[in-house]
Formats: sequence, structure tokens, C-alpha cells
Amino acid sequence: MTTRIKHLYVHVPFCNAICFYCDFAHQVYKNDLVDKWLNKLSQEIHNECKDLYETIYIGGGTPSCLSCDQLEKLLKLISPFSKNFLEYTVEVNPESIDIDKIKLLKQYGVNRISMGIQSSDDNILKSLNRHHSFADARNKIRLLQDNGFNNISVDLMYSLPGQSIEILQKSLEDICDLNVPHISIYSLTIEENTVFGKKGYKPLDEDTEADMYDLIRSYLKEKGYINYEVSNFAKRGYESKHNLAYWNYEDFLGVSVGASSKIGNRRYTNTRILNKYLENISNKDEDLILDKDDLKFEHIMMSLRTIYGLDIQRFNDLYKTDFINEFKDIIEGNKLLEIKDNHLICKDLALLNSVLLGFLP
Amino acid sequence: MKELDKNKIRNFSIIAHIDHGKSTLADRILELTDTVSKREMQDQILDSLELERERGITIKLNVVQLKYHAKDGSDYIFHLIDTPGHVDFTYEVSRSLAACDGAILVVDASQGIEAQTLANTYLALDNDLEILPVINKIDLPSADIERTKKEIEDVIGLDCSNAPCISAKTGLNVEEVLEGIVKYLPCPKGEASDPLKALVFDSYYDSYRGVVVFICIKEGSVKVGDHIRFMQTNTEYEVTELGVKTPGEIKRNSLSTGEVGYLCASIKSIQDIHIGDTITNAYKPCDQALPGYRKMNPMVYCGMYPTDNNKYNDLRDALEKLQLNDSSLTFEAESSKALGFGFRLGFLGLLHMEVVQERLEREYNLNLIATAPSVIYKVTLTDGTIKYIDNPSMMPESNIIEYIEEPYVKASIMVPNEYIGPIMQLSQDKRGIYKDMIYIDSNRNQLIYEMPLSEIIFEYFDKLKSVSRGYASLDYELIGYRKSNLVKMDILINGEIIDALSIIVHRDFAYNRGQAITVKLKEILPKQQFEIPIQAAIGNKVLARTNIKSLRKDVLAKCYGGDISRKKKLLEKQKEGKKRMKAVGSVEIPQEAFMAVLALDDDKN
Repeated sequence: MTTRIKHLYVHVPFCNAICFYCDFAHQVYKNDLVDKWLNKLSQEIHNECKDLYETIYIGGGTPSCLSCDQLEKLLKLISPFSKNFLEYTVEVNPESIDIDKIKLLKQYGVNRISMGIQSSDDNILKSLNRHHSFADARNKIRLLQDNGFNNISVDLMYSLPGQSIEILQKSLEDICDLNVPHISIYSLTIEENTVFGKKGYKPLDEDTEADMYDLIRSYLKEKGYINYEVSNFAKRGYESKHNLAYWNYEDFLGVSVGASSKIGNRRYTNTRILNKYLENISNKDEDLILDKDDLKFEHIMMSLRTIYGLDIQRFNDLYKTDFINEFKDIIEGNKLLEIKDNHLICKDLALLNSVLLGFLP
Repeated sequence: MKELDKNKIRNFSIIAHIDHGKSTLADRILELTDTVSKREMQDQILDSLELERERGITIKLNVVQLKYHAKDGSDYIFHLIDTPGHVDFTYEVSRSLAACDGAILVVDASQGIEAQTLANTYLALDNDLEILPVINKIDLPSADIERTKKEIEDVIGLDCSNAPCISAKTGLNVEEVLEGIVKYLPCPKGEASDPLKALVFDSYYDSYRGVVVFICIKEGSVKVGDHIRFMQTNTEYEVTELGVKTPGEIKRNSLSTGEVGYLCASIKSIQDIHIGDTITNAYKPCDQALPGYRKMNPMVYCGMYPTDNNKYNDLRDALEKLQLNDSSLTFEAESSKALGFGFRLGFLGLLHMEVVQERLEREYNLNLIATAPSVIYKVTLTDGTIKYIDNPSMMPESNIIEYIEEPYVKASIMVPNEYIGPIMQLSQDKRGIYKDMIYIDSNRNQLIYEMPLSEIIFEYFDKLKSVSRGYASLDYELIGYRKSNLVKMDILINGEIIDALSIIVHRDFAYNRGQAITVKLKEILPKQQFEIPIQAAIGNKVLARTNIKSLRKDVLAKCYGGDISRKKKLLEKQKEGKKRMKAVGSVEIPQEAFMAVLALDDDKN
């Protein structure tokens, strides 16, 4: 592959405990297993990483559940490729991040932290199988801020069992008090393979969920956050560059268990099963060659998620087409779509699905 | 090949009420005669349609040839012609019976005789068939053999002294049934030396061989190369292939008197084949055709429309082919303002309708919208002309209608004593007129009601089963038209009358039904980006109204690099669901909506 890839994702498939809603590739932390995994990952990085990346994202799982030594080993593996980056994010959770690991991250140039907090209500945290209180989370955020990490993102959830509008409102207030510039807030989707799914949990009714989403949008707007993507809010200048790359449908490389990559017209996902990965790092769950229609649709699907929308000029250049002409019928018939500064924009992100259905080949 | 001795042939059907063990007994007979090896054996082996196995019912008749070495030392050839048990498919039963000389009547020893047992037995007697009663399910703790025998003797008048008592499930005494067939059922009557006279009792279309016709040779014989004539359509063909089913096809050079098999003659024109027709030899014809079948008239009609308007011709082709295999199905082109071009189909009943729709969708790969079923109304206009209306939206304006008549049936319900009360209440609610109660035994009675056919087909049957916990059984026959106080009710969605949702209702029930339908539609119709009013109205008078609130959100999930495939699959699934909907103006209406007009006071029970 001759074109340069600008974005790298590294998946850490380990956690201290499994949250009841989680559907990511994950595994309860075991010291020797992590060592084996690091060895394999080092091979994969050696084979696959060739560029100096603009954005790097270490997600999980819980990267901070690794021991200091293991974390350093991981950061070292990546360091040859992190010489010239704009954004370098690591996900952490309140229970496992500590001053030593914070210093380590700082030392290797990490400049953005994403912390899963989910709620400020301790009962709800317990019901999600989170092993921390909100006070723990607040302390760790302060610790990060005191040690020079200002670009922090916090994950929240809503539409949770037992969560009322009031509890959600309180969480929003508490999170805003933390003075972080980025918030991702996801509605609970109950996936089959999660504890919630297996317990037969039913989602909240549509109206309550919509009320919650409305509250989130209006509250965070008032606090100066821009709802720049369906589920993401940021103070100006603090949008996630790495995630914007996904939404702009740029190429990206993902390494480790369950990580996905998109390189040109190929999109693939490594095996989500740790043992299979340890057996052979090139085991895949999915490996697709996308035709032009696939590429176009995926490009539209991802781009319309943000308020910046789809860059029509770039689309035309990439696929040698005239976007407006090609999709004229769909665009003209839909009141939710508008074209501004040569970008196609979905005016109500809450109704994106119905807009996208029109574009499906 | 050795000439067949027709004395060693037995042609028979198994008749039974649904669930009394007909298909299980057929399975055991196939096993006992080594027709199907244990390895090939699967449950309900004669039910070859995917749908039949799934639903555990027999829809199509099916024929199989078996060899049986009897205790008298001789080898016999049996032709078992399997028949459907549901009331809708009485026509199929009568077709099978016309090809037989005898029938096995299976009665569940724990249930006794049921409405369908009676109906099918009378059909068999009408066809002059010898009947061998068989008492089944004697292994059940609740089986009462003596009572069941007494019921059969008292109610039907059949002698049960030779009736085998069996368990088709365990195989107990099934051998006695085979011996009974040899001993008590007659052999075919015709003479092999007479001119050919073969009854066409079923057919289907095969893209390689053309129409494949199932025949029963009543007299004479036929061989490959013979020139044959279909007597009703007066068309001639040369026989290209003959065979029997065992149940796999076995080709034969000839078929002789008493044999049941299939025939191909490069028949490409579907119209040339009529079920019930007689085939004879073109050069040496018989003088008189067989009596054939009484033509069954459809009782229930509905519109079927392809969700994709471009599939109209595909639907017509599919209907033509399906009709070959299901001659009780009728269809003619119609159009709807809401649904575009489609067909109005006539069925024998509601199950028949469901089965046809499912077969069209599965076997012919069509996506269809079916409108709510309707009976045929007889409308007398003020100027004295009479119109038959099978589509509610075609009902004339009320000011030019003198009166409307609707079809009534005589319903016969067999029911254990403890459920008589609820069943009488239900029948009365459905506008039934009580006629009689006939004592069967100390535990059961037969209720006779006259009631509108529309009530029976729409909801009565399901409710009957639920209020009696499945113990009541129903049979009905048409008794003619009667005046009723009926009106057309329109359904408006977003201010627009949806013609395909119009229904004919009794004026006294109009308000309640209007309410029920609008509420049901509110649950079913997908939310749109704007609020949609739903109204039920008679003429300009709105009886009920509700609103579907606008859609507020449809996506809030996260979507990063690893979520692309999942997200795309979700959208594709959603789009697939939309294929089952019909865009009417700016609103998308799913299939269920058209059936919602049938959904009534569900909460009452």
C-alpha cells in the first residue's frame, strides 16, 4: 500500500471487570495473558505499522488496567510511529488509573485522555457492574488535570435501567462541574452478547429516550458544548481528531484483537477472540473488498453523522462522480437534508437513520 | 411386465379431524411397508410443502404407492392418497376421495368424533366409499376406546366391531390397519380391457416437463406414446412419461386399471388442464366422462398487490401456476388507488388465504400486500339491479342502495358440556341465531347456529378455540343470502381514504370497530417525520380518530471505525422491513395494517 495512513487504533482487550452493557472485545485481566498478547501485538505492529500517524488512539477494554510495566511496553511499541502526531488518546477508567500511569502516559506524549464514567449516580454505577463511585472518578479527573492533562473526554450513558430524567440531569451537572472539554454520551443499546442482553433487559420507551436526548442536547449547548456528532459534544477546538477521521471516512489502521482497519477499498476486522489472535495474528472476523457503491454509501453514512456533513468536493474527487447529480432524487425529496458551503448536512441528527435508508444501494 | 391383478390393489384415503393423527399413521404405514427406509424417514413425510411441515398441517393432497405382503400370503399394492384435515380444504378432500374406493377414518380415542370427522365421513359416504374406522391414540391416559366406538356407531352409524385400536405414535397395532385395508376395503371396480377412463385429480407445473397431471385409472390402461384426450377441454396430447410415486417418482411404461400415478405429455398450456377432467384414449375413446367434481366457489376474497409495482406480471404468472396446483383458487385483475395494480383472489377460507399468500411469497419469491378478506355481498340497488360486491371499496353509495344481503352459514359446533355457555355467548355476539342442540353423549353436544359467514371467517374460529381451550370443533356450510343492516366504513390516514382498508360492518358494531381499528393502526403504522391522523368514518361522519405522533429519534448509537458493518447491516435490515410496506402518499403502510381491520376487541377475553 503506497498511500500514507494517518490514523492508528490499538485495542487493549482487557478489563478488571466486565460491564453489563459492554459488547467490545474484552477479557478479564490476567497478568500472563497480557504478556502473551503484548508479544503478539509487537509482531503485528512490526508487520503493519509503517507510517508516522497524525492521530493515535489506544482504546479498549481498559488500557489503564495494564500494569505500569505492561503499559510502558505498549507505549514503547507505538513510540516509533508517534513522532509527529496531533492527537494521542488513551482510554482509562477511574479505578485503575493512578499517578504512576499518568506520568508514564505524559512521558510518552499522550495528550488526550478518555475516561469512562457513565453516570454520577452510584446506584446506577453499581447496576452496570462498574467498580467505582462518582467521587473516585472526580478525584481521578482532578489528578489528571493537576498533572497537565486538560484535553479530557468523559463517557456518559443514558436510557439506562433505573435512570430517571432527574438522575440524568444530575449527571450532566456533575460532569460539567468537572470542567472537561469533551463529552461522549451514548444511549444504552442492549446487545445480545452482553449481560444485559442475556438477562432480557428491555430498552426504555422511545419517548423517554427522546426526552433524554433532548435534555442532553439543550443542557450541554447551554454549557458551551457543540453537539458536533450524534453522540459527541465538545468545546470549540476540542473535537476528537481521531474520531473525525472515521466520520470523514479516511483510511485507518487498527491493530490487536477485534480492531478494524479501512485501507482504500479494503475493510477488515481482526478476530475478536483473544485465543485466536494469539494463535495467529492474521485471523480475521471480516475481510471485505468494497465496490464503489459500498464505498460511497459508507462514506455518506459516516459523514452525515457530524454537523460538518459530507464534503462534496472531496467525495467527487475520490469517486470521480458528481454527487449532487448522482443523488439528486434523494437529496431533493428530503427536508432533513441541506447543502451548505458545498457540504451535505443532516439537519436533525436524531433522525439520521431514516435519511440514510434513502442512500442505501 | 406382469399384468396387475386389480383384486390386489387398494386405493384409499385417510380421513380425520385435524390433529387426530392422520399424518402420523401415514408415516407408520410407510415404514411398515418399507416404502421409506428408516434413514429417509422424517415426520409428516407426505407433507412435502415446507409450509405443511412448519405448521404441522396437510394442505395438499399427496399420493404414494406402497407394497404390502399380507397375512393371506399375497402381495398387495396400496395407493394411499393423503388429504388435508382443515375445513378450508374440504374441496381437496373430495378430490382425493373421488380417486379412492375406500377410506380409513381415524378418530382420536381421547377426543371422540369432531365436527370435521363428521363432515369428511359424509363426503366419503357421498362418494360411495367403504369406510374402515380406526381408533387412534389408545396409549393416552385419557383414551376411552369403548366410548369412542359407541360415538362412531351412534352418531355416524358405522360398525366398529372390526375397528383396529392403535397408537400411530408408538406403532401399536398399526399392522391391523394394513390387514383391515386388505380385508374390508374393496378393490377398484373398472375393467382393464375397457377404453381408458382416468380421473385427473391434481396437477402441478414443472419447468422441464410442463404440466404434471396426477391420475387415477378408473378403466382401461394407458402407455407411453398413447394419444390421449382431455374430455372437458377436448385437447389431445401424446404421453411422454408415466410413473408412480413411492414417494419418489418411479417411471413406468404403462398404468392400468386401479393404478394411481402421474402423467406428462409436454403440456405447456396451463389452461388445458382442469382438475376433475377425464382422460381417455384419443383413438379409442370411452363414451362417457367421469362425473368430476362439484365446482367449489370461493367464500372469501382479498386483494393481493406486489409491494413493488413492477412485479405485477410476475404475480400473474405465479397465480397461474399456483392455480394448476390449487384449482379452488380464483383471481382477476383489479386496481386500487392506494396499492396500484394487483389481483382480487378468491379463497375457500382464511387458512387457504394465508397458505396461498405464503406460497406465493416463498415459492415465487414475491413481496405482497394482502388486504383484509371480505365475503361477497349481494347489493340490491334502488333501481332494482343486483350487484355482487367482493371488494368493500367497490360498495355503491348508500343513497342508491335499497338493501344489502350477506352470506349466511349453518355452523355446527361440537363441544364438551362445560363450554356450552361461553360458546353460546360467543355465537350470539357474532350475530348467530341459535337453531338446535343435539345430544352426542353424556359429555358432549352439537350446537347448530345460523350466522353470517363474515363473522365466522374473521374471528369466530379463533375465539371458539380460545373459549373452549381447543376442545370445540367447527364445521359450516353455506345456506344462502340474508338481509343485514350493513354499512361501508372507510379508514382515512393523513386525511386520505385508503381504499384498500375499507370494510363492510354491521351498523350496530361500527362505532366499536372504528375505535378498535384506529387504535390498532396507531400501534402498527411506523412513525413518520410528521404527525399522522387516523380516522374511521361512515360517509362524512367520523366515528373514531387517533394520532400517530411524529418520529423524534431513530438513531443515537455510537459509530466508530469498528461499527461500520454492524451499522450497515442494521440499516439494510430496516430497508428490508420497508419492502414489506407500501408507500401510500407520504405514509408507509406495512402489511399488518391491512389485517388490522380484522383485529377486534382482543382484550375482551
